[in-house]
Amino acid sequence: MFQVIGGRSVQAARVLAPRSAVLVEAVRGRKSRTDPVAKSKVGRIKVPPPVDPVEMVVLKERYGEYQMIMRALRLEFKEEMLRKRYEEDTGSLAEERARQEAQEHRVLMDLNHLENQRMLKLRIVRVQMEKEEADRKKFEVILQREQEQQEIVKEKEKEILKLQEAAKNFITLENLDQRIEEALDNPKNYNFAIDKQGKVVKQTMLQ
Amino acid sequence: MPMKGRFPIRRTLEYLQKGDIVFKNRVKIMTVNYNTHGELSEGARKFVFFNIPQIQYKNQWVQVMMFKNMTPSPFLKFYLDDGEQVLVDVEGKDHKHISDHVRKILGKTEEVLQAEAQAKMQESNPANFGPRKYCLRECICEVDGQVPCPGTTALPKEMTGKYRTKMAAAQE
Repeated sequence: MFQVIGGRSVQAARVLAPRSAVLVEAVRGRKSRTDPVAKSKVGRIKVPPPVDPVEMVVLKERYGEYQMIMRALRLEFKEEMLRKRYEEDTGSLAEERARQEAQEHRVLMDLNHLENQRMLKLRIVRVQMEKEEADRKKFEVILQREQEQQEIVKEKEKEILKLQEAAKNFITLENLDQRIEEALDNPKNYNFAIDKQGKVVKQTMLQ
Repeated sequence: MPMKGRFPIRRTLEYLQKGDIVFKNRVKIMTVNYNTHGELSEGARKFVFFNIPQIQYKNQWVQVMMFKNMTPSPFLKFYLDDGEQVLVDVEGKDHKHISDHVRKILGKTEEVLQAEAQAKMQESNPANFGPRKYCLRECICEVDGQVPCPGTTALPKEMTGKYRTKMAAAQE
């Protein structure tokens, strides 16, 4: 009776008319071949629907024409799409466009290259300046260091001279007696007095 | 809920959609080499921080890689379809200049973008009926105010074909 459906059409049937919980599409032949015919169908002779030959001819012709036209249209549209795609991919316009794009790309790459060169020049100059700066600083540091060294040497020399000067007044074994005589002859008074106002008085009585 | 990160605006859709660098189809890989410290890399750092999310959002199929502290001076490198490599020096540049320069040399121009948008609009004509994948609606019965689908609710008798033929036959 009704066709047996399975697979995707089952899902479609489920979507279209999911009224009952159980999906039951009439399956062909509930009865097996051994089951007897139903009482109401005992004398039944199945007769196909009557066909009018004239109508049939006319219908066949018309349907044929219609289907031919539809098929032709469909193929036309398909071909149009394919041709459009082909033209776009490998047509003359496409080549032109590709050439144009390649040229533009070249121009832009040249621009970029120029920019890079400019940055390179700037960078070289900057690096040069930085190197010079570093050299100068190093030089300065060296100078500074040398200067400091020289100053130290000068200080040392000064001290030596001072010492030499002072050495003239040293007491040695030779002038020991002489200096003792001198010291005894000139007694030195280290005492002094100071009042609250800060006046220093060095003249005191020697005892 | 507080937003995450230092400039959470970078994560908003509005900000991402404002990005205007759409690469040409030939660009496949973009590489940024920069340093995390130093005055000269400042522009590159800002570029990576602010502009890279926008670029990646607009060019989802371009691979973008960042390399830190591997170079004495920062640069961008683009690897194209046919093996060509494009080097862009960005030492000391501002992030705005960098993004303008990149858009000029490797980005799709305004006209091209607009033409593409137009083509896309033309493809998807809202007046077409067809499969869900290509069109908005499949049948007029889905539109509000139209006759509901006879598959779900029965049509009124006057609109069915068999009633009409019966009436026409009765009249003759």
